[in-house]
Amino acid sequence: MSSLYDRLGGEGAVNAAVELFYRKVLADGRIAHFFDDVDMESQIAKQKAFLTMAFGGPNAYTGADMRNAHKRLVEKGLNDSHVDAVIENLNYTLRDLGVPETEVKEVAALANSVRDDVLNR
Amino acid sequence: MTQITYEGRTVDIAPGETVLEALLRAGVNAPYSCRAGNCHSCLHRAIDGAPPPQSQSGLTDAQKSMGFFLPCICRPMSPLTILRPDDLGASLEAIVRAIDPLSEDIVRLRIEADGFAYRPGQFVELSAGEDLKRHYSLASHPEEDAFLEMHIRLHHDGRMSRHLADKLQAGDRLRVAGPSGSCFYEGVHADQPMLLIGAGTGLAPLYGVLRDALRSGHRGPIRLYHGARSRKGLYLSDELRAISKARDNVDYRPCAFDPSAPHGGDVAATALDAEQNVAHAAIFLCGGENLVKRLKRDLFMRGASLKNIRSDAFTPAR
Ligand SMILES: Cc1cc2nc3c(=O)[nH]c(=O)nc-3n(C[C@H](O)[C@H](O)[C@H](O)COP(=O)(O)OP(=O)(O)OC[C@H]3O[C@@H](n4cnc5c(N)ncnc54)[C@H](O)[C@@H]3O)c2cc1C
Ligand code: HEM
Ligand code: FES
Repeated sequence: MSSLYDRLGGEGAVNAAVELFYRKVLADGRIAHFFDDVDMESQIAKQKAFLTMAFGGPNAYTGADMRNAHKRLVEKGLNDSHVDAVIENLNYTLRDLGVPETEVKEVAALANSVRDDVLNR
Repeated sequence: MTQITYEGRTVDIAPGETVLEALLRAGVNAPYSCRAGNCHSCLHRAIDGAPPPQSQSGLTDAQKSMGFFLPCICRPMSPLTILRPDDLGASLEAIVRAIDPLSEDIVRLRIEADGFAYRPGQFVELSAGEDLKRHYSLASHPEEDAFLEMHIRLHHDGRMSRHLADKLQAGDRLRVAGPSGSCFYEGVHADQPMLLIGAGTGLAPLYGVLRDALRSGHRGPIRLYHGARSRKGLYLSDELRAISKARDNVDYRPCAFDPSAPHGGDVAATALDAEQNVAHAAIFLCGGENLVKRLKRDLFMRGASLKNIRSDAFTPAR
């Protein structure tokens, strides 16, 4: 069977999802403050990196990279409820795009698998 | 094997190696994160040689045309000279042609810099000495004007402002580096609606973009919102009224702070109120940091794609 990333549609799927996802995150009062960067261009590139990873696409991130990327946020209070909110927004984004429920669950599981690294535990 | 030149040094690139790998191997402290072309942390610009198109994947048309590329996915076939993204490169000598008032506190500076290539709306770094360098946007058009034109607001205690107002005269020399910035007419379709919003001297790049769009035969509607603290700050309004009268597709909407005006004359509120449907517009935002940040966010949330939003925030120099 082809990879999750290929089934979702590869880079094209990431491109289709990234702005939808970023809008949902910015509109979500629980987590918006973590993403409220002056420089939206650099923020959206990071979102693209996030989605590529969550879709099972090519990336070279290690657990240590995920710890480093989120260390600053953990210091600002990032916790399990925020990871839940991000995954929830990811689910809504994929459903808006008509992604079948099996794949939505796979993506959520993949994102969830790095929870401990993201939270620096 | 090929090479890259980076800050005066030459680094060999082994077959199959990426520019990022070569830089890191050579001990350069180059930024990176994902190493997969997604996060843009490693962004650099080639000023000599053409980066392979794959290494520009995901960048905007304006960035591509300026030579930006992603070193982590760049395997060049021929030599490249590259710069950090905020490095404007070598400067050229320029001669002041004229300094004329545009309003109570805005002047028009025209300088001549032979061989300086740019697109209207980009900005330059103007230097009047080693420790006096400031960014200014270009309102002139390289095919119509023999000079670079800038619109400069004179801040009361500003160092460059005072230098311009008190010292500088026609015939004096300055240095100019760049250009930089992606606020220019690139990646816009001739029929696309264009939305230009700026305040104060944020009009300078927008005026450049407007002229370039018209010269390029832009057919879609163009709406230009210009905000100022008072009516007197609405400089160039006669020229802009004349353009909007002569061209069916140009609509000039000046807004000055005035309690009796809609939204009190706040240009951001006025534009946001009038522009409900922005999903397909090519958007240009220029002026103070708060204005640009607010508009960018609100227009994005309203459906505009970030790829379609070009902006320059006139952040004060540190
Ligand atoms: C990309 C870019 C493009 C720019 N384009 C233009 C342009 O086309 N026209 C133009 O007039 N300016 C433009 N600027 C701003 C310009 O570069 C200078 O910051 C500005 O001219 C002030 O320089 P100065 O030396 O006179 O003042 P400084 O000596 O740097 O500052 C003096 C004092 O004024 C304050 N100050 C400086 N700028 C502002 C401001 N905008 N609002 C409130 N207080 C301020 C400072 O905090 C400081 O207290 C641009 C800036 C950037 C980053
Ligand atoms: C659910 C699992 C998560 C994964 C797989 C993940 C993945 C990533 C990745 C790949 C990056 C880019 C890192 C880089 O290249 O610099 C990133 C950055 C970022 N993430 Fe996450 N993330 C997760 C959860 C979260 C949560 C819960 C938040 C906040 C609510 C968050 C906020 C951010 C922010 C703000 C950045 C940008 C950091 C910066 O600008 O330096 N992430 N994430
Ligand atoms: S390191 Fe992420 S795009 Fe190059």
